[in-house]
Amino acid sequence: MALYETRRRRNALAKSMAVAATIFGLTWLVLILAVLLWEGFSGLSLAVFTQMTPPPGSAGGLLNPIAGSLVMTTIAVAIGTPLGILAGTYMAEYGRYDKLAFVVRFINDILLSAPSIVIGLFIYEVMVAQMGHFSGWAGAVSLAVIVVPVVVRTTEDMLILVPDTLREAAASIGLPRSLMIRKVAYRAARAGMVTGVLLAVARISGETAPLLFTALNNQFWSLDLNAPVASLPVVIFQFALSPYKDWQQLAWTGALIITLAVLALSIIARSLASARKSS
Amino acid sequence: MVDVAFEGGSAMTVRDQADRAQVLQRLRIGDIAFRHLTRAAAIVVLLILGGIIVSLVIGAWPALEKFGFRFLTSEVWNPVTEKFGAIAPVYGTLVTSLIAMLIAVPVGLFIAMFLTELCPLWLRRPIGIAIELLAGIPSIIYGIWGLFVFAPFLQQHVQPFLIDTFGNVPVLGNLFAGPPYGIGVLTAGLILAIMVLPFITSISRDVFEAVPPVLKEAAYGLGSTTWEVSRYVVLPYTRVGVIGGVMLGLGRALGETMAVTFVIGNAHRVSPSLLAPGTTISATIANEFTEAVGDLYTSSLVALGLILFVITFIVLAFARLMLMRLNARVGA
Amino acid sequence: MSAVAYTTPAVGHSRPGTEGLPEKISVRNLDFFYGDNRALKDISVPLFQGRVTAFIGPSGCGKSTLLRVLNRMYDLYPNQRASGHVTLDGEDILAPSQDLNLLRAKVGMVFQKPTPFPMTIYENIAFGIRLYEKLPKSELDDRVRDALVRAALWEEVKNKLGASGLSLSGGQQQRLCIARTVAVKPEVILFDEPCSALDPISTAKIEELISELKDDYTIAIVTHNMQQAARVSDYTAFMYLGELIEFGDTSKIFTSPDDRRTQDYITGRFG
Repeated sequence: MALYETRRRRNALAKSMAVAATIFGLTWLVLILAVLLWEGFSGLSLAVFTQMTPPPGSAGGLLNPIAGSLVMTTIAVAIGTPLGILAGTYMAEYGRYDKLAFVVRFINDILLSAPSIVIGLFIYEVMVAQMGHFSGWAGAVSLAVIVVPVVVRTTEDMLILVPDTLREAAASIGLPRSLMIRKVAYRAARAGMVTGVLLAVARISGETAPLLFTALNNQFWSLDLNAPVASLPVVIFQFALSPYKDWQQLAWTGALIITLAVLALSIIARSLASARKSS
Repeated sequence: MVDVAFEGGSAMTVRDQADRAQVLQRLRIGDIAFRHLTRAAAIVVLLILGGIIVSLVIGAWPALEKFGFRFLTSEVWNPVTEKFGAIAPVYGTLVTSLIAMLIAVPVGLFIAMFLTELCPLWLRRPIGIAIELLAGIPSIIYGIWGLFVFAPFLQQHVQPFLIDTFGNVPVLGNLFAGPPYGIGVLTAGLILAIMVLPFITSISRDVFEAVPPVLKEAAYGLGSTTWEVSRYVVLPYTRVGVIGGVMLGLGRALGETMAVTFVIGNAHRVSPSLLAPGTTISATIANEFTEAVGDLYTSSLVALGLILFVITFIVLAFARLMLMRLNARVGA
Repeated sequence: MSAVAYTTPAVGHSRPGTEGLPEKISVRNLDFFYGDNRALKDISVPLFQGRVTAFIGPSGCGKSTLLRVLNRMYDLYPNQRASGHVTLDGEDILAPSQDLNLLRAKVGMVFQKPTPFPMTIYENIAFGIRLYEKLPKSELDDRVRDALVRAALWEEVKNKLGASGLSLSGGQQQRLCIARTVAVKPEVILFDEPCSALDPISTAKIEELISELKDDYTIAIVTHNMQQAARVSDYTAFMYLGELIEFGDTSKIFTSPDDRRTQDYITGRFG
């Protein structure tokens, strides 16, 4: 009976550790979000969205980094999404069983988790160093490099989910392959693919490292993509590490804005996914 | 059935057939073009990887050529005398990641066990969502939270405790020597642990859920406790997937920049104490790249990036192989 | 005659004689391979114009495989190949020079599981038409209506052409797929177990439809349901383990087959 007692005790211990671990994990989430909301909210005002980043000691806002982030994110998505969809299409449709798709899948999954600072270095070498100056284009391209693997992955996964019978039905009325993909398969996988793009946007919204030495930073209003462009994550980086209280406050507020944007995108992506499931 | 007068019956006339052939001929060019376009896009993905490797090697070459193997072993990092050594950043990267994994892996596995075996059904989705939220928070948030909230907390409450408790213990004491800065290697490792935790948890939960219920029922049927089923049935069965997930988390931890940069202290030295400030590869690059003057300095930083890329590439490739074996076994 | 009493399935109307009837599709010495596995062995069978030919046999006998050769559907998959001769109106469709899209427009297929495209009912049908012809809207509307009428679906959907194809019931979806196939004006229609996913009432409607369609098309149907084959077809081919065991008038196959194996299958000795 002693053995049974030991087993019971061990089981109880393990169970409580599992519960404790869960509470542990959730606590951090709550703590982080609570502090973020508290600190960020107190600095939230209309000025944040209408004024430029100030020099230390004066009041100001985050208009130029927000604008810069929006512009670079949009360009990154515009470049990365078609490329990712096309590559994912190759892997799910034309090349499903061939070697090239196998290798690309492997490489793509590695790129998916590659350190983003290395991507920043890469773009620095091929764009900034070549062009001789930092630029918003370089920043956008480095974000695009992060977007591509995400979109490739979700496109491939979603297209593979489209049943073969649907493809055969399209083929059986004589539809050429490319039209079958564009008009039938894409349409069937549309919700999933949109989800993938939203997830990619959420991912790059918070990326700082690749922008640090591609788009650099800019205290003034500038949308000239051939020059350094301010972005929200980089400004947060700069302001948070500074010793100035008002800069630090702006950093918190900026962090709150990014987090809310990322959460909103995730919620939209999730509801799209579940709408698809229920249809 | 309704009788419909359809002119010409349903059969195709010769003229229709010829028209049809023409249409298909026209479509054929676009068809072939599309196929080549997708193929080209797939190759671009390969080119990106190739480009990364090539550009890193080229950029790192001056430093590698100058320092050779000493680059990996020297602790010196002096922009003035232009002597650079990678050992402090590499050490910091490895140690912070190790701390992160030591905490995140057991905690993550236990949370996964909770979610699959113990959690009431109505709670599963909310907690799952919470975990995904944790994973989605951008790393810079972890960074500033770490700097303004976590580090002071550690400095005031935890680190003095650690120093007092372990400071005088013979070997362990060295781990906790030095003043409580708040920031430092331990802090960075802990923040990384919180960052990596959701990845490990969700991958483990997914593989745990994939265990066939009959397997678990067979074990329960013999009278096993929940713990025994998890430890002796679920875990071995999912071992490959869990390892894959752990490797993926490790890959993330190694490359993480912003969460670490804020709290690591940015000191180029190797110190046995966890409470000491240090640096990681990504933190070094993030902090110094834009201010690097001189080709050798820049090149050394790129060389650091190359080392980081090689390490993470190996870890991630290993993780992928593990997960591929898992899929092969399941017959996906 | 076997000592076991069996009920003769109700025999459908069949037209006598094979003399003089043109062969729309001729299969001669067809072999088919999945990788190294030979799934069809030296099959030779005619599909007569304007008639319904049923293919019956136990699971795995190759009847669906044979059907999918007739529109080269297997070409979508890398490991599958066919050798031998299959001619449509005299042209060899196995030749590499054969335009597959053209072939598939001539030889339509209705699948086991109804697969409407993720579009409106109208679009599902207009889609195929638009591929080949540029028609003014009124003509397109007429063609769509005609297809739906032929598929016995018009009355049920005429007021909701803008609804999603997926909003229809199973039987209606299958009829939509038939309408879609018919809209492209094929000459041959292949039915691959079209009713196996449907309830008895939908099944009856589709069988009636097939009888109507045979006036204008050459039809081949693969079915697990022997009674269905007897009801609907003029000729029946019995297949077993990749070989064609017997081919002939449906009435003959079901009442006095030549081959022992055919008889065993018909009487349910094995299935």
